[in-house]
Amino acid sequence: MTEIPVQSAVETTPFTGTASGQPIKIDIRNLDFYYGKTRALKSVNLPIAAGQVTAIIGPSGCGKSTLLRTLNRIYELYPEQRAEGEVLVDGDNILDRNYSLTRLRRRVGMVFQKPTPFASSIRNNVGFALNFFERMSRSEAEDRIENALRQAALWDEVKDKLNASALSLSGGQQQRLCIARTIAIRPEIILLDEPTSALDPIATAKIEELIHELSQSFTIVIVTHNMQQAGRVSEQTAFFHLGELVEFGQTSSIFTNPTETRTKDYITGRYG
Amino acid sequence: MNTVLLRRRIIDILTLVFAMAATAFGLFWLVWILFTTFVQGLQALNLDLFTEMTPPPGGEGGLLNAFYGSAMMILLAVLIGTPIGIAAGTYLAEHGRNTKLASTVRFINDILLSAPSIVIGLFVYELAVRTIGHFSGYAGALALAIILIPIIVRTSEESLRLVPNQMREAGFALGLPRWKLTSQIIYKSAMSGLVTGILLGLARISGETAPLLFTALNNQFWNPDLSGPMANVPVVIFQYAMSPYDSWHALAWAGALVLTVFVLTLGLLVRFLARKRSSR
Repeated sequence: MTEIPVQSAVETTPFTGTASGQPIKIDIRNLDFYYGKTRALKSVNLPIAAGQVTAIIGPSGCGKSTLLRTLNRIYELYPEQRAEGEVLVDGDNILDRNYSLTRLRRRVGMVFQKPTPFASSIRNNVGFALNFFERMSRSEAEDRIENALRQAALWDEVKDKLNASALSLSGGQQQRLCIARTIAIRPEIILLDEPTSALDPIATAKIEELIHELSQSFTIVIVTHNMQQAGRVSEQTAFFHLGELVEFGQTSSIFTNPTETRTKDYITGRYG
Repeated sequence: MNTVLLRRRIIDILTLVFAMAATAFGLFWLVWILFTTFVQGLQALNLDLFTEMTPPPGGEGGLLNAFYGSAMMILLAVLIGTPIGIAAGTYLAEHGRNTKLASTVRFINDILLSAPSIVIGLFVYELAVRTIGHFSGYAGALALAIILIPIIVRTSEESLRLVPNQMREAGFALGLPRWKLTSQIIYKSAMSGLVTGILLGLARISGETAPLLFTALNNQFWNPDLSGPMANVPVVIFQYAMSPYDSWHALAWAGALVLTVFVLTLGLLVRFLARKRSSR
């Protein structure tokens, strides 16, 4: 494939603002990512707006999950993976080895593709990290847990069985529990890695509604292979292909009037 | 019928017959052993077995001191072996994974796992019995712990590895440090596997005779003190079965029955736990 000039919209207005004019929360600059010798992300530049939902779409293996996994450095669990470049969160380069992982992960929460409830009670699932990070009284912790569950639109379903095992919940409830667990520690950014791909349509609708609610309080980055979902939940969309950011802009314009042929082909279902 | 089909049918039947025969052959001995143990053991089984001490040659008595000694030594061995075994298993599964040290530890652990127990008995004899100057229950427990540790290392590593990596990622994504994640989330997820490993190890060491011959030896009398020679079921069975006295033979059978039932119960418990784990 020949080199196609990428992301013209972004390059003409570098790093001063996002496509929507919102302030930048996460500024990704010249990011390269390697799995061993394989380069999975190629010089990605992407400004992510504060307080908005940014969707990352693209065909399988395009690097969209990889990008997300860079933003909280979860990839560091695997010694053969590494990132080069800069990811600035409010101006701090979080890829810097000296940037505390604990601090980073308090600021940047993540919800995964498959629900990952811990083998413990519903209450403990939410309170676990909370109690680790903050000294607080029991009643204060209870309040925080209730708040998080309310925010995750799960409270009404679990308020009478907070001591029940989290594993007894349905898949959709488990996923909302994971969201509650994430927001309980009050992050600034929430990363969602295909959060509905393991769920049925009704549970999916609930999560999407929730994402909309949460975007009032958090900056959200969502990876999805479901283009309709990106269209429904996000304000901005970035389209990736083979590790390159092909196009980035307002969701509405990406879906109605893409400038790149590759974006157009993907959105109209020519490949994917 | 087509000759090819016919041939296949015949081969099929022959294979089946052979497989059934092999199974029957294996089961036959097992059933025979269990049957003999139960028949002979039940005849000798009475309340005295659990209330009386081991008798002098030819006399009547029970195995109370042997049961007590075995229980104490096994308990102590489990107390020593479980933390060490789980800690090493945790290193292999959580921290070391693919490091050189981990694969070395794994290799050595495999050797230990298949080391003849008599060698371990001799080792502890040299290490503890000779330096202290006499046989003791502590030495016996130490020998049993050395047999137990590699079993627990292996089973705990395996059950920790069964915990999906997503669980670790989820914990790390919350900003939790590894020790917190391992001790409160991963262990909980792997609990039934860890317990299974301990029970399997317990079953294995409760029948060990050779290492105890060199370490705890035996004791005719009631001795609650682990620092002296201690009676224990396997060695008593060994000595009484080799003796010329009928009353001792009966006690040996009774001891064998109790030991067998104990190990079988542990086996059932393990199966129950494993089923619980897989149904989740």
